[in-house]
Amino acid sequence: MEKSEKIHIYSVSELNNSIKNNLEVSFPNIWIEGEVSNFYCHNKRHLYFDLKDENSKIRVVMFFEARKKLEFEIEDGLHLIITGFVSVYEKRGEYQVIAIGAKPVGRGSLLLAFEKLKARLEKKGYFDPAIKKDLPVLPKTIGMVTSTGGSVIRDMISVLEKRFNNYNLLVRNVNVQGTTSTEEICDAIDDLYEYGVDVIIIARGGGSLEDLWAFNTERVAEKVFGCSIPVISAVGHETDFTICDFVADVRAATPSVAAAIVTVDKNEVITSIKTMLAKAGDLVKNKIIYGKKELDNLINRKIFISPGTLFFNYWQEHDVLRKDLSGMVKMIVLNYKSKMDILLKDLHANSPVSVLQKGYALLVEKKEGRVIRSISQIDIGKDMDVTLNDGILVSKVLNKKKKILGLEV
Amino acid sequence: MEIEKMTFKEALSRLEEIVKELESEKISLEESLQKFELGIKLSSLCLKKLNEAEKKIEELTRNADGKLLTKELWNLSAFITHFHTLN
Repeated sequence: MEKSEKIHIYSVSELNNSIKNNLEVSFPNIWIEGEVSNFYCHNKRHLYFDLKDENSKIRVVMFFEARKKLEFEIEDGLHLIITGFVSVYEKRGEYQVIAIGAKPVGRGSLLLAFEKLKARLEKKGYFDPAIKKDLPVLPKTIGMVTSTGGSVIRDMISVLEKRFNNYNLLVRNVNVQGTTSTEEICDAIDDLYEYGVDVIIIARGGGSLEDLWAFNTERVAEKVFGCSIPVISAVGHETDFTICDFVADVRAATPSVAAAIVTVDKNEVITSIKTMLAKAGDLVKNKIIYGKKELDNLINRKIFISPGTLFFNYWQEHDVLRKDLSGMVKMIVLNYKSKMDILLKDLHANSPVSVLQKGYALLVEKKEGRVIRSISQIDIGKDMDVTLNDGILVSKVLNKKKKILGLEV
Repeated sequence: MEIEKMTFKEALSRLEEIVKELESEKISLEESLQKFELGIKLSSLCLKKLNEAEKKIEELTRNADGKLLTKELWNLSAFITHFHTLN
């Protein structure tokens, strides 16, 4: 037992602590790949599970701080790559991996994570069509979250150039894939919101599910959902759907489609405005023609009933119509001016003629060109023109008799 | 609503309404002339709004102090020039 004095006897705690230190130094920063089993979440905070392959498994813990940054939900069967370090749970003397990050591996796992997040956000009402915002019809400033390096932005600009050449574009450049992508996209949305734009397009070209992953993260989904500016999501090809697409107010099949959605086709709109105006002009013109016909009918009726009031009524109707017409002529600096002038002349020409046709005559004093309405307006011996419906009788006043329709006044 | 305060969308849909109203047989000549005049004002407002924006392509960045600023995107401006030579 003499020698035993030199033997170091560990206490359990001491040994565990020593092993722990050794392990943490030996495996300080590792990546480990495997399938999740025995998943357990304690108090909705820390995650506990095993990572296994065909022959072996290892215990993994992910504490709340790390879990908060996770961009998907971990569950049994998921294939993961975990980053972290090896440590020991001294209380039980069990070694384990303390995970500080994790990401799904392979299309199967990514799809699983995608479906899981999609289902959860759908349940939270993030995709509700009722809360989707309308896009502005004529946005003053179009905000864009994309990479300024790629062909995507060029494709979109080509579309804008064709459809609406005086667009105002504010681009916030981001990495559309890679470890910083999620954060950059979120910051870009914040920045565009702070600066003030009317609509935001989030755009990226096609890629694998892994390439598009930043657009399938809960953080981007929440940022888009919380954005009070309308968002168009145009991520990937037509067949690619991302979480961002579902949350956005409008999903565009491709970035080029987004550029078409965000603006009107200016030439098309101008043509439709011109067409509407022309149609409105035609409708008004028809109304005037119809009104003139009605007026003619009125004249034709009244002449039989009360010849004395004919001129009074006629001139009043005529004046109203003329007033409207002259007002209208002023308005239509457009092509309608000439059409209306013709109509106006027509009205002048037609209406007195229809009166003359009834056997009435228009008397004009020759010298001064005054219309004679009373025998007191012209002296005996003066010349006058008597206009009938088919010509003029050049006449001279021979005598005056103060009578109307054969009755003494 | 005053025409000057209308948005493009409001003005455009009002113009569409006016055409519909003018199609109605009940409307008097005087009313239809007034509506037509309104239609002309609305369409010129729409055309004005379509052309009022000045074309700009800028990039939004933050300076060292974290302040937002915009700068012109020269490489894309060059692309646009190129685009128009192709088309």
